Amino acid sequence: MTALLHAELIKLRTTRTFVALTGIAVAISLLITALVGLLSEPTEESVLIDVFASDTSGFFILVLAVVGISGEWRHRTITSSLLAAPDRLRFLTAKTLAFAAAGILMSLLIMIAVTIVGMAILTVRDLPTPEAGELADLAARNALVAALLGAFGVGIGALVRNQVVAVVGLLVLTFVIETTLIALVPEVARFGPFSSLPTAMAGISAEEAGLGDELQLLAPGLAVLAMLAWIGAAFAVGAALLRRRDLE
Amino acid sequence: MAAIEIQGLTKRFGKVHAVTDLSFTVEAGRVTGFLGPNGAGKSTTLRMLLGLVRPNAGAGLFDGRRYEDLPHPSSHVGVVLEDASFHPGRSGRNHLRVLAAAGRHPARRVDEVLAQVELGPAAADRRVKGYSMGMRQRLAIAATLLGDPEVLILDEPANGLDPPGIRWMRELLRSQAALGRAVLVSSHLLSEVAQSVDDIVVISHGVLRASGPLERLLGASNGSGPVTRVRAADGDRLAALLRGQGITLESDSGVLLARGVQPEVVGAVAAEHRVALVELGAQSPSLEDAFLELTEDHK
Repeated sequence: MTALLHAELIKLRTTRTFVALTGIAVAISLLITALVGLLSEPTEESVLIDVFASDTSGFFILVLAVVGISGEWRHRTITSSLLAAPDRLRFLTAKTLAFAAAGILMSLLIMIAVTIVGMAILTVRDLPTPEAGELADLAARNALVAALLGAFGVGIGALVRNQVVAVVGLLVLTFVIETTLIALVPEVARFGPFSSLPTAMAGISAEEAGLGDELQLLAPGLAVLAMLAWIGAAFAVGAALLRRRDLE
Repeated sequence: MAAIEIQGLTKRFGKVHAVTDLSFTVEAGRVTGFLGPNGAGKSTTLRMLLGLVRPNAGAGLFDGRRYEDLPHPSSHVGVVLEDASFHPGRSGRNHLRVLAAAGRHPARRVDEVLAQVELGPAAADRRVKGYSMGMRQRLAIAATLLGDPEVLILDEPANGLDPPGIRWMRELLRSQAALGRAVLVSSHLLSEVAQSVDDIVVISHGVLRASGPLERLLGASNGSGPVTRVRAADGDRLAALLRGQGITLESDSGVLLARGVQPEVVGAVAAEHRVALVELGAQSPSLEDAFLELTEDHK
């Protein structure tokens, strides 16, 4: 498993997609932090979430994971991957772990950048700043969210071989289906894996995250369990499909 | 035990019988050509052997074990499939680094196999999307050599190679067999195969038509007896003389092919009637003739 995980991490490092999407994620997160830090007047109670909860790694690692596994089919590299690792379950497990690790890395990079920029702006403006412990706690929660979404993305990507369909489907699920469910049936939408559960795991309220005040998010621990259930379900179905598929 | 043993492999795609009860073996130290017309089931057979396609029946074994049961598959079997694909944004070297890591091969093997397939550092560090077909094929072969495998399986390896590349490929196949490795190579380039292989396996419509040493199969295909190739200064006169002896003739651009007789007989007729010959010899059956004979009846 270690060898396969190493191979998957080399795959991630040696294409431009990971670097490009990580760069975009860092840039967007920094922009949000900079704008909020410069334009708002956060209080001591609100500063952590207002200025430092701008980590976009969850969404980007989700996209990256879907692109990563569906790209194996698109570029037909799945053949050489499975020749090197004929046990398809081990292959999928290695990919899942690799994207979870990549999610953690991306999130930590963003958190470091956001912390440096946010603290600088707040200090210059003589506004209250969060405690180091609070920042560390937020960083750990964001890293957990990114890791789980990275793993979830591999499961989703394993279900759909067509890369365009997979990515478009992901965007529709995230921005249309789950958003609509939050507005119409919030009691169901609280289990949504794209917005509701990540927000709950990050310890942010629905109102702070702009998800409306109707949505009652799960407690962070329960949200983690619910997210693991989503990952398990997607992984199980994806693995079953992968094992059955003939590579003609 | 054979290096590769195909036992009753069968594959159906819906109502299409791609491969039916196919059995043959590939021995170590020999190059075996795997031949068949387009759609004969060659690629499906290789993919079943490698665990990429699930057979409906039968099995493909390496030293008695299925590919997926080999402890270190890429150290035992090196594979180039016809559609060898690479991530276009990854360099050739990084492609090999991925495979070396997955196969638990030492990182130094990457540089060694790049040198072996004559892909220089500049080419190796370029992204694969800028590679020519020939460079891609060399990279694919480099990947097969990473684990220094006992068995090589190559599906149409000469595709995209220029004449020097084809010669290089031929020498590579022969050198690998000389090291005691089993080499199974599928190809539609019959003349190329004839120069490279020791044994051939011919399939058509997913069914085995023939297998065995090349010489034996060429001899067996020559069922109508010897054929003599002769060319004379006065070809029309020689043709009339030979037909007068009851010899069946075919004419091909001034060359006469006399069926059922040895060159000595044709030479004697020409000498008796003082016809000057320009060329005289036995016409060897070609692999193409044998291939067509073995597959034609089953179209």
